[in-house]
Amino acid sequence: MKVSLFITCIGDVVYSSRVGRSVVEVLERAGCEVVFPEKQTCCGQPAFNSGYHKEAKKAAKHFIRTFEHAEAVVAPSGSCAGMVKEYPHLLVDEPSWHDRARKLADKTYEFTQFLVDVLNITDIGAYFPKRVTYHTSCHMTRIMKVTEPPVKLLENVEGITFDTLPYKEQCCGFGGTFSVKMLAISEQMVDDKVKHIVDTKAEVLVGSDLGCLMNIGGRLERLGIDVEVMHIAEVLNQRQETGESVGN
Amino acid sequence: MGIKISNDSFFERVDKGIKNDFMRQAVSSAQDRLEGRKSAITEEMGDWEDWRELSEEIRQHTLENLDYYLNQFAENVAKQGGHVHFAETPEEANEYITNVAKQKNAKKILKAKSMVSEEIGMNEALEKAGCEVIESDLGEWILQLDDHDPPSHIVVPALHKNKEQIRETFHVKRGYEDTAEPERLAKFAREQLRTEFMQADIGITGCNFAVAESGAISLVTNEGNARLATTIPKTTIAVMGMERIVPTWEELDVLVTMLCRSAVGQKLTSYITGLTPSPGGEGDGPEDFHVVIIDNGRSKILGTKYQSALQCIRCAACINVCPVYRHVGGHSYGSIYPGPIGAVLTPLLEGYDDHKELPYASSLCAACTDACPVKIPLHELLIEHRKDIVEKEKLGTFTEKVMMQGFGYGTSHPSFFKMGGKQVPFLMNIVAEGKDGGGIGPGPIKLWTEIRNLPNSKGDTFRKWFKKRKGGARDGNRDDQRER
Amino acid sequence: METGTISGKDKFLKRLSNRMGREEAPASVTLPAWSKRPQDKVLEGASQDELVDVLIAHSRAIHTDVVTSTSQDLEKFLQEAVSELGGGPIVCTRDERFSSFGLGNYLKQEEKNGSLHIWEEGSREDNFKIAEKANIGITFSDVTLAESGTVVLFRQEGIGRSVSLLPENYIAIIPKSTLVPRMTQAAKIIRDNQKNGQMPSCINFISGPSNSADIELRLVVGVHGPVKVIYIVVEDA
Repeated sequence: MKVSLFITCIGDVVYSSRVGRSVVEVLERAGCEVVFPEKQTCCGQPAFNSGYHKEAKKAAKHFIRTFEHAEAVVAPSGSCAGMVKEYPHLLVDEPSWHDRARKLADKTYEFTQFLVDVLNITDIGAYFPKRVTYHTSCHMTRIMKVTEPPVKLLENVEGITFDTLPYKEQCCGFGGTFSVKMLAISEQMVDDKVKHIVDTKAEVLVGSDLGCLMNIGGRLERLGIDVEVMHIAEVLNQRQETGESVGN
Repeated sequence: MGIKISNDSFFERVDKGIKNDFMRQAVSSAQDRLEGRKSAITEEMGDWEDWRELSEEIRQHTLENLDYYLNQFAENVAKQGGHVHFAETPEEANEYITNVAKQKNAKKILKAKSMVSEEIGMNEALEKAGCEVIESDLGEWILQLDDHDPPSHIVVPALHKNKEQIRETFHVKRGYEDTAEPERLAKFAREQLRTEFMQADIGITGCNFAVAESGAISLVTNEGNARLATTIPKTTIAVMGMERIVPTWEELDVLVTMLCRSAVGQKLTSYITGLTPSPGGEGDGPEDFHVVIIDNGRSKILGTKYQSALQCIRCAACINVCPVYRHVGGHSYGSIYPGPIGAVLTPLLEGYDDHKELPYASSLCAACTDACPVKIPLHELLIEHRKDIVEKEKLGTFTEKVMMQGFGYGTSHPSFFKMGGKQVPFLMNIVAEGKDGGGIGPGPIKLWTEIRNLPNSKGDTFRKWFKKRKGGARDGNRDDQRER
Repeated sequence: METGTISGKDKFLKRLSNRMGREEAPASVTLPAWSKRPQDKVLEGASQDELVDVLIAHSRAIHTDVVTSTSQDLEKFLQEAVSELGGGPIVCTRDERFSSFGLGNYLKQEEKNGSLHIWEEGSREDNFKIAEKANIGITFSDVTLAESGTVVLFRQEGIGRSVSLLPENYIAIIPKSTLVPRMTQAAKIIRDNQKNGQMPSCINFISGPSNSADIELRLVVGVHGPVKVIYIVVEDA
């Protein structure tokens, strides 16, 4: 299957190639051909959530033009994939765009959702002998309704010790612009999240949404707490042979 | 009291909330308990989503025909000898209510819990007219004794207080000398209020749902105070928000089921009372039955994109799951309606002037939308508010506007977008102005790094890596590929 | 009965109609067929005995004791319940079912002893005084909801609101035939009665003792209403 990768802003820039390459390599191991439409930009969520819908529409239309001929679109962030699902609603007043948006939304997937629900893969042959916990991102759970896939994938990783994060359904306090606009509240929320992570005694916090990971990771580091933060693709890309990521 | 409960600015209120350790402890443990009870009872049903869909349909149908059902209700109340007054404003409502009090020469008025009576400042109006108003709901009574401390939750109004604080209030105001055990405190309240009840001239209640076909009002309670208020005094006045109505008892069944489960995790609360005007001479119960139907800004919501906010049945399920409420508490919202529904409703009823921060007091995590038993898309309505704030009200700040317009341009022009630069994450460029809420505050990156580090982004961007890789490792991998 | 009045309606409803894009309220509205009816599936097809089991289980959860009785044993069980709750003074409703369930003599005797008062419409003040001083109030249930452990009381002549509310304790006698799965069936009965011109001025759904969680969310049983409640389910034909 040919997959068009939507790497997302944070995946492209903030995490350098770290996350993206694992996504590509895991998808390839799953038998996909991965293409990267060069013209991609942002899904438009920051503008959309801030109420700048004119600007969000510009981003959405560009996204549609860039991805509409894809067989499937896969993104390593539930929230960004979720934004694509919003497009039909956003463009409801423009019938032709609405229709294109709907078609695109139907073939857009979050990374783990694509592996499990489309490719029917729950064991990718990964090996990761560490104690981990998993942060269920809000948009992935509540807007994309993806809950089982990441857990199934992690449970099948060899050597892994997986603990459920207490209060997993609670937001980490990222919320895009919320994280700076409501800094004081966001701080309380991320501190709660950090506390729950520490309570699990996990060595690694895994997530499927880069915004959340940037927020939680940034706070963990600031507080000097030694918990590594990884995207689920990075974990799934660990193999027994070397314990290192494969590919390069 | 009115809807607005504070003159402090939003950020001052939040700051106070965050620093109030006791309140935060109380709120988080209350949220855990309430949400735990709700989850347990809804999971047990097995078909909660069907119930939600049905409830949404009922609420939507009722709102679409609200003029019809209110008319039917009023006619049916009057037919049975009751009195219905329609009030557009708080002043109109209070005038009617105080007139009834004057006619009855009422000295003492016993009140059951009613959010809409708070909304219109009814107690103050009655007190001005020379009546003594006594709150009979335990939580409301505690707040009333404590010099009218505002409620911080729509179901559990004194949630922010601990038992020692309550004991102290009882001690100072009523000479209570016993321990701070909730059982003792409640027993004391029972004794004190029972005496008051026996002397009350008028009972005033809210109305959880009016039943149009029957000309009935329904009251959903646990303590029994609403029953007392409609059993002992000769006159009953029910105040209701105009949207709190159902077509028949069969729809009442569904919504009461949802209210009890969502609010307190009970199958049914201890008391659900359906009342219609009585012919009098029944030996107890009201001989005079009034219903005041209140608009107070609600009709401005009808027929707009916000109409679904009127589906609300005031269960507080959204408040009980909100992570923002958890940390800032009810008073931070500056409104008698806190939490997600408060952030949606307050600006609709009162305008943006005093409440323009509320729609931003959400990470849009959508826990509220998921929890709502009548499926109000709360987080989407918050986004609609934000949209109106920037597009219609033009209240977005200059910096934010510049950034967002740049964003619109950048995202539709890939070459420009790529120049966003790798040291400064593009997303960070987009975020809004400073937390002081006005003018050009500190930049977003500065705010971000006040409490967090930025990821260490050494090495190539993904784009660069992918390009370099082409024709290299990827081709080498091709043989391994399983065809699908 | 006073004549009813309506004030402020026309302008108010006109504003609503206009907001909804019409000149006036529709002349009639038909209730739609709802797409889902989960309420009908609750305890669907359960027998009366199964409903009793559900009632007992849930009543326990709401701090309410349930005893089941044959009609022969009812008097004995009622006496036991009364003494369990500390005895009289008792106030009960003026309800023919007391004698049809064989409790006529018991009532008469207790009345003679001065420990029981049978409700009558008379003076409000006297009624309140009696009911408030009573240690136990006793009523029959008109409809009983198994799912939620609820007795439903329709106000009728002789059936005062105060009896189930003002005394410290409350006993509800539940004829087994009044058991239905849940509030859905009660709502239907209420609607049917209404169509026949019988709309009680007060319908109370009572599920156990009064309670409050307003202080630190700690459940306190017994606030403004009864502190202790006992249900007696009695076999009837």
